[in-house]
Amino acid sequence: MKGGIDFHVHPVLIREMIRKYPELAAACRETYYCGNAFQPLEVMLAEFDLVAIDRAVLLPVDATTSRGAKIYSNEQIAELCGMSDRFIGFASVDPHQESAPQQLRQAIAGLGLRGLKLDPAMQDFEPSDKRYYPLYETAAELRIPILFHAGLSFAPRSKLRQGHPTLFEDIAADFPGLNIVLAHLAWPWVVEAVALAIKYPNVYLDTSALYFDNPYDFLSYAMTKQVPLTVFERTLRKQIVFGSNNPRSETKTMARAIRGLGFSEDCLELVFRVNAERLLAGERAC
Amino acid sequence: MLIKLIRFEVISKKEFQMIDITGEVENAIASTGLQDGIVFVSTTHTTSSLVVTEGVECLERDVPEHLERLSPKNPPAGSNWGWYHNRLLDFDGRLGYNAGDHIKSILGGIQCFFPVENGAMVRGTRQRIYFCEYDGPLARTVLIQVMGEGKQ
Repeated sequence: MKGGIDFHVHPVLIREMIRKYPELAAACRETYYCGNAFQPLEVMLAEFDLVAIDRAVLLPVDATTSRGAKIYSNEQIAELCGMSDRFIGFASVDPHQESAPQQLRQAIAGLGLRGLKLDPAMQDFEPSDKRYYPLYETAAELRIPILFHAGLSFAPRSKLRQGHPTLFEDIAADFPGLNIVLAHLAWPWVVEAVALAIKYPNVYLDTSALYFDNPYDFLSYAMTKQVPLTVFERTLRKQIVFGSNNPRSETKTMARAIRGLGFSEDCLELVFRVNAERLLAGERAC
Repeated sequence: MLIKLIRFEVISKKEFQMIDITGEVENAIASTGLQDGIVFVSTTHTTSSLVVTEGVECLERDVPEHLERLSPKNPPAGSNWGWYHNRLLDFDGRLGYNAGDHIKSILGGIQCFFPVENGAMVRGTRQRIYFCEYDGPLARTVLIQVMGEGKQ
């Protein structure tokens, strides 16, 4: 198998960036809420090497209105991408700001970022509200995917209900040309998220779900018992992307867990690389 | 009385890795000017250990492999509830699923010490000091403290 892509990485622990931008430490500790030690960039890349992950999608969150903080600005994500050609940077904008669509255009055209990350629970907005449609229209026009946080979040004050997958149905239906990724299998609503993905070919799911037990036991529960593995293998094989949620979950353990579930080799190739590449290229799933 | 504390960083590149740090400890002793006394070495982490053994590549494989057999990452077969550590650690914002690595650290021990005589660490000819990584890759901090009489 060629090198894979981790579609869900938060670069909040990278020591080089923390030293240069000390405010990122507070964003990591208080807004994102992660207590692990800051680590040099080479450690992250070494972890990717352990499990044949070549590239990673780096996700910021602009929570200026809701939390008074940005977990990385778009410029900082672009700077980090300049430190390794293994990084693919996504943008984030504050959906409460009227200039959000323009900010997104600038991040894509000016900074070379490749997608949009939004977290309704942390950014405190209702994703199906029409007032945010100009932002989605802009993403569709730019042919970039939107990765939405979905399901349970460990971040403080992030409400569970704002991660329910049905909140994204209007977007999937009203923007058939826009690819959206529901993160974390939208756990605990894996069945509902799978239903959306079955109905809407522009809905993808990432695998970055870990809420109890360990990566293998949890994903075995979510992807073989909550929903049979056959559904992912046969029906959604082109709509699943590997994501770890690093550093809340390690890339190494999440990759091993997914590879251990029993997928066919060609399906693993889709999950770990091909589907992500198609998303980044702006292609439709079906 | 001379007492000095030196910190240095070890970066592991693998999940399990034994890294020979004997040279770093010897250099640290020399940098302090300690002549006669004792050197303590300690890891500051709970999924790593410091062990003293013969410096050969085969043991660098055998030691972590045996510790993994004794204390596996995944819960041992037959345990009723698996690892209790496999749960959300709310103070950390993430799950603990490395109980096996914590127990390896306990089994390996987190410290070692050697006497120092005439400015040199006194150890057996086969003995090397290893930093043992059980949950890498990670950047780790090792402490070296010397205590005794310095150069006159």
